[in-house]
Amino acid sequence: MTFITKTMLTLAAGALSLTGLAQGAQAEFAAVGDPKPAIILFGPTNDGGWSQSIDEARQTVEEELDMRIPQAEEIPESATAIRPAAELFIDRGSNIIIGSAFGYSDTFKELSEQYPDILFINPAGITNGPNLKSVYGRTYQSQYLCGMVAGGLSKSGKIGFVAANPFPLVNWTVNAYLLGAREVNPDAELTVVFTGAWGDPVKERAATQALVEQGVDVIGQHVDTPTPQVVAEEAGIYATGHHRDLSEFSEATQCSSVWTWDKFLVPEIEKIAAGEWEEAPYGAFLGIDEGGTDVACCGDAVSDELKAKVMEARDKIISGEAPVFAGPITDRDGTERVPEGEVLSDADLWAMDWFVPGVTGGE
Amino acid sequence: MDFLANWLINIPGFAVPFALAALGLIFSERAGVLNLGAEGFMLGGALAGVGLTLNGAPPLVALGGAMVAGAALGLVFAVLVAGLRINHVISGLALVFLAQALTSYIANENDWANQSFAGLQDLVLGQDIVVWATPLLCLGTVWLLGRTRFGLTLRAVGENPGAADAAGIDVTAMRFAAIAIGAALMGLAGGYLTVAVSKIWVDNVVGGRGWIAIALVIFARWHPWRALAGALLFGCIEALIPRVNAAGWAVPQYYLQMTPYLATLAVMIWSAARGGDRWAQPAALGQHHIREERD
Repeated sequence: MTFITKTMLTLAAGALSLTGLAQGAQAEFAAVGDPKPAIILFGPTNDGGWSQSIDEARQTVEEELDMRIPQAEEIPESATAIRPAAELFIDRGSNIIIGSAFGYSDTFKELSEQYPDILFINPAGITNGPNLKSVYGRTYQSQYLCGMVAGGLSKSGKIGFVAANPFPLVNWTVNAYLLGAREVNPDAELTVVFTGAWGDPVKERAATQALVEQGVDVIGQHVDTPTPQVVAEEAGIYATGHHRDLSEFSEATQCSSVWTWDKFLVPEIEKIAAGEWEEAPYGAFLGIDEGGTDVACCGDAVSDELKAKVMEARDKIISGEAPVFAGPITDRDGTERVPEGEVLSDADLWAMDWFVPGVTGGE
Repeated sequence: MDFLANWLINIPGFAVPFALAALGLIFSERAGVLNLGAEGFMLGGALAGVGLTLNGAPPLVALGGAMVAGAALGLVFAVLVAGLRINHVISGLALVFLAQALTSYIANENDWANQSFAGLQDLVLGQDIVVWATPLLCLGTVWLLGRTRFGLTLRAVGENPGAADAAGIDVTAMRFAAIAIGAALMGLAGGYLTVAVSKIWVDNVVGGRGWIAIALVIFARWHPWRALAGALLFGCIEALIPRVNAAGWAVPQYYLQMTPYLATLAVMIWSAARGGDRWAQPAALGQHHIREERD
C-alpha cells in the first residue's frame, strides 16, 4: 500500500467517523416500544459474585415484567467476542442489550453508534451516548454499613480488607469501610492487601492469612470470590462480603454488600416501554435505594443494638442526611479532600487515589 | 520473628505448583517438544482435584486423578504435535484455550465453583506430603534424565531427532511418552494448587501460573535442580508480598512482583553471554521430525 492510499484511507475513515458522531448527536433516541432485553454476561452465572448478581436480577425482572430475557455467558472483554453476541441478539429481535463489564465500554459505544435504534445499558461501563447508558452502584454506601458491622464486631480494633486492584472504585470501598467502622469504634484501624487480581483464590487466601497473622479479627473484601470468607471461618474470625450475600459460603459472613440490579432494571425497562427513557451524559450512579448495592445484614454475631444502628445509618444515607464522604475529610498524608460542610463530588469519587487516616497499605 | 516464621512456613505451598509444573515442562522440552500448554494441563489437574474432592475422594486420590487428567490432556497435545506434527506453539496455545473453556464448562455443569473443602492436611512442620515429595521427584527426574537409558533416549530425541531415528529410536513414541509424563506432573501441579492451596474452584483458578512455570524453565536452563531453586525464589516472593502489605510496610508491591521476572531476565542474559553449557536449550526444541525430510 502506498503512502497516498494509506493517507486517503485514514482521511476517509476520519470523515466517516465524524459523520457517525454527527448523526449520533442529532438522533434523539426513539423509544423502542415493546422492550425485548438481552444480557451479555462477562462471567459464568454461578461465579458466586458479580455475574451471578446480574443473573439473579434477570430472573426477578423476568417474573415482575412477565418476559423472557435471553442471556450469553462468559463473553470476554474483547470486541471480537462482544460484537457477535450483541449482533446475534439484535438479529433475533432484541432491542435492549445489557452488558456487564468495564471492558465492554468501547465496543458498546461503537455498537450504539452503528445501531441507533437499539438501546445499550452497561453495568460497570464508562461510555455513554444517546442510546447508551453506563451504570454503577455507589458501593461505598453499603460497604460503609458493612464497615459499621466490622467495627462493632472487632475486639482488637484491627480490621483487615482484601481488595483486588487499587482503582478508585475499590479505594472508595476501602475508605468507606473504615469510616463506617470508626462510626462504631473510633479507634478502629484497617489494613488493606491488594491482590492484583479480581478472582485469584490462591492470592486471596494468602492475603487473608497474612492479615490474620497480624491479628485482625474482622475481614472485609472487594474481590470476586468468597475465599476471604472461607479463610475467616477457618481462622475463627468474622468477615463481610461483597457482590452477593456470601453467608451461603461461610458462617463467618456477618454482613454483605449486595447488588440489587433488579431494583434498577425493572423501572428502567418500564420507562423504556413508556417512551420516557432519557439519556444520561455521565451515566447512572445508583444509590442504595436505586438499585446499586444494598446490605444483606446481619449475621448471628451482630447484636440487635448494632443492627439497629446500621439500619438507622442506612436510612440517613438514603435520605441524604448523612452521606458517607461528608467533610471534613483529610487523607492520611494530611491533604484536605473534603472541606467542612461539603460532600465529596462524583468526579472526585471516580478519581479517588487517596486513603483516609487509619488505612494501612495500598502503597 | 513471627513474621519470618509465617513467611518461611508459607513458601513451599507457593513453590510446589511452580516446581512440579517446571519439572513436567522439562520432561516435555528435553524431548524437543516446545510446550506452551502448561496452563491448560494445570487447569485440567486443578479441576479433577476439585471434582474428586467434592465427590468425597480423599486428597491423595484426588491428586492421583489430577495426574490422570493432566496426562489425558497431554495425550491430546501429543497427538497434535508428535502425531500430526502441528506447530508446537499453536498447539500449545490452542490446548490452553480448550482447557480454559472445558474446565469452566464442566465446573459450571456440576456446580463445583466456590464450594470450599478441607483439602490436603499438613504432615510434618506445617507441610503436606506433596511438599516433602517434591525434592524426591526432582531427584528422580535428574536420575531418570541423566542416568538411565530412557533419559538418554529422551534427550537424544530432543537434541537430534534425525540421529536418534537413525539409531533405531522411535521418535514419535518417545515424544508421546515425554509429553504424557510431563503433562501428568503439570496436572499434579494444578491439582495441588486447588486441593492443597486454594481449597476452592473458580474458573481459571490457575491464574497464569502455567506461564510463570514456562519462564521458570528458561530461567533454569532446562535443569531440574535449578528449576526447583527458581520455584523456591518465586514461592518466596509470592509468600512475601501479602505479608509485607499486611505488616504495613510501605513497599510498593509492584516492585516486589517484578523481582522474579528481573531474575529470569538476568539469568537469560547471563547464560547467553556465557555461551552454551551442558544443560542449555535442547537443540531440536520446537522442531518436528519427519523421516527422510531434509532439515
